[in-house]
Formats: sequence, structure tokens, C-alpha cells
Amino acid sequence: MKVRKNLQELMEELKTDDNLKDNIVHWHTIDEKPAVTVPLPDIHTSLERALERRGIKELYTHQETAYEYARKKHDFVAVTPTASGKTLCYNLPVLQGIMEEPNARALYLFPTKALAQDQKSEINELIEEAGLNINSYTYDGDTPANIRQKVRKAGHIVITNPDMLHSAILPHHTKWVSLFENLRYIIIDELHIYRGVFGSHTANVIRRLRRICHYYGSDPVFIATSATIANPVELGEKLTGKKMLLVDNNGAPTGKKHFVFYNPPIVNKPLNIRKSAALESRAIAGLLLKNRIQTIVFARSRVRVEILLTYLQELVKHKLGPKAIRGYRGGYLPIERREIERGLRSGEIYGVVSTNALELGVDIGRLQVCIMNGYPGTIASAWQQAGRAGRRQGESLVIMVASSNPLDQYIIQHPDYFFNNSPETARINPDNLIIMVDHLKCAAYELPFQKGEKFGGAETEDMLEYLEEEKILHRQGEKWYWMNDAFPATNISLRSASQENVVIIDTSDIANVKVIGEMDTFSAMTLLHEEAIYLHQGTQYQVEKLDWEEKKAFVREVDVDYYTDANLAVSLSVLEMDKERRINVAEAGYGDVSVRAMATIFKKIKFETHENIGSGPIYLPEEELHTNAAWISPGHSWTQLSQQRVEEGLVGTAEALRHIIPVFVMCDPADVHVVPQVKADHNEKPTIFFYDRYPGGIGLSEKIYENLENVLAEARQIVESCPCASGCPSCIGTETSLSTAKADAVHLLSLLSHQTERGGKPCQ
Amino acid sequence: MSIKSKLNRLKPHLSTGRKADKQGIPDQIDKSGDIPFFEKWTVENVEPFYFDDSYCLVRKVEYPIMYRHGKYSFAELINIVNIWNNNPELNHPLSAIGHKAEELFFFDTETTGLGGGAGNTIFLLGHASVTDSKVILKQHFLPHPGAEIALYQSFLTSVDYRTLVTYNGKSFDWPQVKTRHTLIRDHVPKLPSFGHFDLYHASRRMWKHKLERVKLAAVEKDILGLQRTQDVPGYLAPIIYFDYLERKDPEGIFGVLKHNEQDILSLITLYIHLSKQLLGLDPERSERESFEVGRWFSSLGNIDKAKDTFSTLALHEVPESYAAKHALAFECKRERDWERAVVLWKDIAENDASIGRIVVEASVELAKYMEHHRKDPESALWYADKARRNVELFPSSPKKDRILIDCGKRIERLNKKISRASARID
Repeated sequence: MKVRKNLQELMEELKTDDNLKDNIVHWHTIDEKPAVTVPLPDIHTSLERALERRGIKELYTHQETAYEYARKKHDFVAVTPTASGKTLCYNLPVLQGIMEEPNARALYLFPTKALAQDQKSEINELIEEAGLNINSYTYDGDTPANIRQKVRKAGHIVITNPDMLHSAILPHHTKWVSLFENLRYIIIDELHIYRGVFGSHTANVIRRLRRICHYYGSDPVFIATSATIANPVELGEKLTGKKMLLVDNNGAPTGKKHFVFYNPPIVNKPLNIRKSAALESRAIAGLLLKNRIQTIVFARSRVRVEILLTYLQELVKHKLGPKAIRGYRGGYLPIERREIERGLRSGEIYGVVSTNALELGVDIGRLQVCIMNGYPGTIASAWQQAGRAGRRQGESLVIMVASSNPLDQYIIQHPDYFFNNSPETARINPDNLIIMVDHLKCAAYELPFQKGEKFGGAETEDMLEYLEEEKILHRQGEKWYWMNDAFPATNISLRSASQENVVIIDTSDIANVKVIGEMDTFSAMTLLHEEAIYLHQGTQYQVEKLDWEEKKAFVREVDVDYYTDANLAVSLSVLEMDKERRINVAEAGYGDVSVRAMATIFKKIKFETHENIGSGPIYLPEEELHTNAAWISPGHSWTQLSQQRVEEGLVGTAEALRHIIPVFVMCDPADVHVVPQVKADHNEKPTIFFYDRYPGGIGLSEKIYENLENVLAEARQIVESCPCASGCPSCIGTETSLSTAKADAVHLLSLLSHQTERGGKPCQ
Repeated sequence: MSIKSKLNRLKPHLSTGRKADKQGIPDQIDKSGDIPFFEKWTVENVEPFYFDDSYCLVRKVEYPIMYRHGKYSFAELINIVNIWNNNPELNHPLSAIGHKAEELFFFDTETTGLGGGAGNTIFLLGHASVTDSKVILKQHFLPHPGAEIALYQSFLTSVDYRTLVTYNGKSFDWPQVKTRHTLIRDHVPKLPSFGHFDLYHASRRMWKHKLERVKLAAVEKDILGLQRTQDVPGYLAPIIYFDYLERKDPEGIFGVLKHNEQDILSLITLYIHLSKQLLGLDPERSERESFEVGRWFSSLGNIDKAKDTFSTLALHEVPESYAAKHALAFECKRERDWERAVVLWKDIAENDASIGRIVVEASVELAKYMEHHRKDPESALWYADKARRNVELFPSSPKKDRILIDCGKRIERLNKKISRASARID
């Protein structure tokens, strides 16, 4: 019988095994770092003793700075890597504060319910240990009605999430008088999660929160903690509307970490096709799991998670049993997720395959190895995922397995870019009109608006007049009052771009039909169309009927050897140009656009071989989206090519750009779409559009507009340096058929990003 | 591009949905003392109440005490309150003990939306109380949303009350008054806390068996013998109020005032009627109503009164008598009066006329009693089997499954006991 190997031995194997070692393009070791500590500050003795009993005799430097700032009532953001004791950054000043002023209240905001539960246990242990008379409660959808009243009246520390604040606390603020009158601290944990649509919504919820605090006469201090991003202070300030200080003198120790860049071998030289990242991830994860090394595998999409899960469960079925490896992603029911989290902590579950859902601080204990199946899209996200391995010191291993897509290949071939560049910037746009008007309605429901009153920094008069014309508000003298029988918060979701979700219903057992998950409508167009194979916890379901009106998908369990992949056809028109400028011979613009998207066909793709084994049409209505977009059109010299060459050159260029965008704007690749048009409606020129996927835009395309030169130069570099002959998945993708496509794409990118060699003709 | 035009273009993404059908009246700012459509208001007995720079409108209506609304004249209220006061042992939540009739304060509101929440405005607060000679009804109306301070000042100072009588006021009207009051609490007198008679909960207890939804309108029609004509349904009140704010013409509002007035008068009749049920003073009280009264006293721990009610009922040969016997048996069990309980249970379990849930429960109780008290597993088995056979007739439900499992376990255990006992004998 084979003896199980430990992590050291397995790392040695990686370095020496002939099949593996050549694929390792970079092995980066991050040395352990000792702790930097300072003595405990002057805190209440019972608190001091409680800390001591938990083995805390000193503070890390950043914890002490945080404590000092909070005591001086400075708002601040603490940037804290995983496992650096971030909770003490806020728990210590809050507890000390409440002991000095027993009426004082604190509000803790966590992005998810699960995190709130974790934190409640943690702070309650500390409170109990110190024997303090401080009540801390979670307040969420699961809080029983009889406890709610107690939380409202007597909760010193109320732990909740932005959604509850938005729909349950603020609209009922009169029941929370003692909280709002005495609110001293607001804690925002996992600040970096509040970006994009969710962040823009939350910024508006906080505008409402501060408005209510002001009404009751309190002015709480904001304490935020964040993972490493480029602009924590800017994000904190945009989110809270207050000036914030930075705490980043991290004094926590870290264990030794190995960061391995793994590029699957090329299997077809001329086409530059590499072995599939999923298969390579499977092989490495299998090796580790067989040796019972607890491993987390991150995949970029829900489908990928399910595919990898199927592979891995099959691989180690006999060795570890079917429940030892689990999937984890949005769309699973909460109860299922809690069970998986517990299993990971207890060690019953050896492996988990997850989307970025597990990037958050959900407590899953200590894992030894993290495998990323593909670059997660952003540097910050990669570090978050890497932090899942070896959280509490000790040696750990992170392996990033590159896929063929251009961004992955760029990163894996430029380790310096990854290790030396500062992580991405998190963007939010609290002034997105659609989001802001929604929250202005909620705010008016909570308290009437005074003429001249600002909402955050925004002027409100135009919006209030609009709502008055829509008969939602009533103007009386200098004030606007809510005058409608609706409860505005119910129809506004902070999480998803589209307000409605499609419910997924399993009808496999006629007698026991049940809901197994849900999905936003835009994703549903391509993932839940009829005949689609939907994967849930490794089980395959086929969509038998999609009731688009009722937003229900009826699925039945099947066992097939393929998955499905759908195409989305997009057309786009410019409604209004807000900005324009010239980049050399090209025209760049930014403004409002209308996007019409329609799912067209789907393909059936065989597992393992990835062959296309069939296709079918999708009959779903067109969805329309009004949003912001940036665009660029080259000048004349290029458009003299044949129609087909122009088209393929544009498609190839767009593909390369699409992959590089997330590097420049910290966002999910799905948040910005890139669409080429041979003849755009507004200028009749070949044009490439970049649009925000959310109605009204969230500031991503504007950022692209400002950085077009860099984006284009980087894309050009990717395509030019790609070793393939005439286009491959790592540069311009595989949608093109002409052998000239790659050269045309390079030419186009050079026209756009550099002075042309011959000076070029300026465009009109 | 201006924000407003942008908003108009983004309209499909904005979740308002509501189409503007009328142009707003350009200037709705009231010049002091200038009340729009004042003559129309005056015809309806409405007078302004001024406070600080603002005002609200107050309507006052009086009815003679002998006026009959539904089953009873208002004068009966005085009588009923006296009877409550003479029966201190009843200790019932609807008892008016310690209060005079004129202290009861029948109260109802109209609001701009459903459910609680800071943005749900109360635009009408109505209340009525009796004197020796009449019923005085007052309604405080919010002429525009900026006038809440005047509204609550008027409301809180014009009433001298200690006891509210409402229909679902415990969970709706009063919390909403508190919410709105919190918003203006620096300007008006403090809100007193007081007792509360909620007739909604009482009505649900008494009549949910015969009314599909125990709404006040249904109680009026089916219980109090009241028929409304030309009533404005309550759910239209918000829309009528929004329309009034636009146009300021009170025409539609008068319908809402009338509706609110009817609701409040019905509360008086309903309180009289409920009290009569509880006090056993209604000769027309049905067996089922008697049974519900007994159950209510039982749940309040007033066992004597409950047994009293059940015993009377058990004597009659009506369908309710079995339910009453069943309930009575449980009262006896609670007092460990096994002998009496067993007689009652047997009566139920062995009578072919009684069916359904109570047969099963009585049989199960008897099986338990025979097994544990009498140590008679064979009789116990007979009753357990009877219970099972009856449960099998139920439509399927999780509860049915649970009872079946319990019966199965009991029967299995009893069979073992019996065979062990017979083994010993052999």
C-alpha cells in the first residue's frame, strides 16, 4: 500500500516530476514574516484580562493604530490581509467605548448573513469572557419576531447586512430610536466587496443611514476593513461620504507561502492550443486530494465549478467517498452552504470547488493548498483566493493554472506584473441615476425632503421634481413628502442588476417538486434556455421548460456527457455623446447607449474532448438596456480593407480587448461587455464599444474611456507577442476564419494606440 | 443633458410604472387661513384647528344615545360596562372593569398605505365615546402632509381617554400612530401608554369558523346584522386621498370620512355584542359560539368558567356537545379528575355520531389512560386501534403521518406488553 505524502514531499514532486516540472513557469516564495507588536493600550481591566485569556497580550501595530484613530473619532479604513486579526481593529474600540458610555450603540455591516453570524459568535465570546453587560445581536431575515423588539431597544451592537438596513431597518427607523440616537460606531467589514452595482447601491443606503442619524442627532464614526486594493481610502470615502484615514501598518505574522504559476503544455503548436486548464487543475487537485491534503479549487464560472466538481468526485470516489468533495457557489441554498462551511472547518470535507463566493471572509478554517483554475480576473481577487491557503501561518501552496485566454497568458508570462503591480482599483458610482433615484424614493419614504437638501453630495431638486411629476412624491411648500401606497424598498434589490430572478424548479420527482436555486434574468438567457444543461452540485439537469413571463425554469435530472454553451447577439446604438476626444487618428467617445441583447443559439459541447456535438435555437425575447458606453473608431486608412477583413479584424481586436479590460477596471469580466460593429449607427464607421452591464452604468466604461491608450497598448502587446501563426484562444480568440485576422487586428491596434508610421490621415 | 431629461429616457428602467394622468396644480401652498373649498367642508360639520402656523380639520358628529346601530342601541354600552364591573371574577381581557362607559374610546385610522413603515402617513384619526345622552364622534383630518403637528396636537388634546377599543389596532393603528408621533415628538405632547381592547383578535376567536376572512365588514354583515350602502371600500382610501391632495376638492374625502365613521360606530356595537357572548347574555348565542367562549376562558386559565360553559353545552344533543365534552375532558385531565375525563372520552370514542379529530384524540387519551393508569394493555390496544382506524380516514397530511407513526409505535409496544404478560401466565 502506498504511503500518504505530506505537502513538502508533494511540492518536491511538482519540482521534479517530468510531466509537471516543465509546465511550472514561475515559482515564487514569500518568506514568513514575524509579528510586530506593541503593548496593549490603556483599556478596561476586564477587557484586558479577557484578551489575555485568549492569548492576546500585545496588539499588532495596525490594531493599535486602529484603536487610536477610533478613540479620536477619526473615520478610517484598515487594510488587513487574511488572518491578521482585523476584527480587533473594531471590536476593541467599540467594546471599550460602550463600557465608558453604556448607552452607546454600534452598527456592524457585513456583506452577507453568514459573515454576520461568524462575527456574532466571535464578539460574544469576547464579551462573555470579559463578563461585560453588553448585548450584541444579529438582525436579519432569520431573526425571530419576539427577539426583534429586544434588538431594537436594547442591542448595544446590532450586526446586520446592507440589504436588511435598506429594507427593514431604515424604513422603520421610528422603531429604532434608541439605536439612531446613540449610534457611535458604524463598522463596514470587507469594504472591497462594495464595488460595482452592489457598492453603488450600498453607498446610497449609507446616504440614507446618515440622513436618519442626522435626524436623530448622532454622527457616528465609520470604521472599515478591506482586503488589499489600490484605492481603499477612495472607496471608503465614496461609500460613506466622509474623509477617511488609512491604517496599513500590518504587524501580523505570515507563514511561508509558495506561489506557483503553472502553464499547461502546448498540444498544437501552429494553433497555439494548450492542454485544458480544467484537466490540468483536475490532475493536480487529484494528486493532492488522494494524499488527503485539504485543497480549495477556484473556478471562474458556475459551469466551471460544476464541471470540475464532476471530474474530481469521479476521480477520488473510492478513496474518499462522495461527500468529501463539494461544490460551493451562488445559487446553492443557504442551508447547503452552511453545511459545507462546517464540513470544511471540521475536516470532514477535504476538497471544495468554488466560485469567488468563497473569497469572502466566510470561516472555513485552514486549508493547505489553493488551486486557481484560471486567473481570477483581478490581482486583488487572486490574492484573496490565495489567502484561503494557510490563513493561520504554516507553509502553504498556491497554484495558478492558466487557461488559454489572453489575460491568463499575459499574467502567467509576466509574473512581475502580478507580483509588483499594485492591485486594481475598486469603482463605484453612487450617482448612477437609476440607483440614486431608487434610493431617493426610499429616503423620501423615511423622511420628507427639504428644498435645497442634498443627498450625499448630490443635488436633489431635479430628481424630486421628476418624482413629483410621477405622483410618487407630493410637494407642499418647501418640502416633498412620500405620497404613495407602496413600500419602495421591496422592489429594490441591492445585489443584482436585474430586479427579477428566475427560480429553478426540479421536477424530476413529480410528487416532490422543489426549488433548487435561482438566477438573474440576464444570466438565465444563456444558462437556463430550454434544452440547456444546468449543473447543480455536480448533478446535471436539463431545462425542460422556461416560463419567461413567470420567471420559472423547470428542470429534470439527466445523465449526459455534454454541457451547453449559448450565444448572445447584441446590437447597440448611441443615444447621446457626453464626451469625445481624438486618439491619434481615431475617434473616441463616451455617452449613453441603448443595448439590445438576444440569446440566439446554443451548442452542445462534449466533456473531455470539448467537441461541438450539436446545436439548437433559443427563443427568448430581446432584452433592452440603457447604459453608458465608451467607444473608439479608427480613421480612414484602415477601412479600405474588404468588408470581411474589417469585420474579422474588429472581432479579433474586441476579443483581445475584452480580456484585458478587467486589469484596468477592477470588475468582474461580465460587468463590461465589448462589442464590435462594422458600421456603427452614429458615425457609420467600424467601432468597438465598451458598455456597463447595469442600467444607467456604474462608471466602468467612463474609466475605460479615460484609459483607452493604455488599454489599447496592452492589448496590442498581447496579440503581437503571441507565438501563434494566425490567431488562437490566447490572443484574438477563435471566432475568426481568415488568416489575415491576426495581422489586421495588430494593425488596427497599432493605428489606435500609436502614431502611425506614415503619419496617417487625420479623420474628420 | 439635464438630469430630468435623462430620467425620462431611463424611465423603462425606473420602477415607478405609474403614468402621470393629470398635471399637478402649480401652486398648492396655503396662504394662512385660506382653506380651499372651505364652504364644502363647513357643510360637513368640519372646522379648522389651528396650531402654530398650521391647521388640521376636525369633523364632529353626534348621535343620540338611544340610536340603534345594528343589533343594539348605544345605550346598551352603559349597561354592559356596568355588568363587567359587577363581575370582577371574570378577569377577561375584554372586561371593562375599573372603567366607566365614557372612558372607552373607540378608535380607527385611515392611512396612505398598507403595512407599517415610516412613510405610511395617517391622514385620518377618528374616535367616539359616549356620555349619558349621546355618542360623540370626532375625526381629525390631515389637510396636507405638512400639517401633522397640528393633526396630533388636535388629536392628543381633544381626547381624554384611558382605554382604546380598536379593530386590529394592536398591530396596526397604534404602532403607526407611534411611528408618526416619533417623527414629530418634539412638537406635540408625549404619547401616553395605555390599555387596549382589540376586537379583531376577539372576533377571530369567536367567528373564524364561519367567516372566511374575519374583516370588520364581514363581521358587520354576518354577525351584527348591519348592511352598508354606498360605502367607499377602505382599500380605496389612499388613492382618494392622493387625488384630494392634487385637487384639494374634498368631495371624495367625505366618502372616506363616512366610511371611517361607520367603522367606529360598528366597534361600539361589536363591543356590546362580544361582551354579551362572554357574559352569557345573548339568548341567541349559538352552540358553537358557546363552545368558543368556553375555549377562550379555558385558555385564560379560568377553568371554572370554562367547565361551566362546556358542561351546559355537553347536556344538549347538538354536534357541538361532543366538542364541548372533549374540551371539558381536557379540563378534567388538567385537574387530574380522571374519572370524569374518562367518562367523557368514552362517550366520544364510543359514540358513532362523533367523528374526526376528536374521536382520534379521545381514543388516544383513553389508550394512554388504560396503559399507564389502569395497566390494562388490552383495553389500551382496543382504543389505540380505534384511533388508528379513524386516522386512516383523514386526508393525507404531515400531521396524519405523525399520528399514524405514533399509533403504530403504541400498538407495537402494547402488543409486546400483552405477549409478555401472557408468556408469564403460561
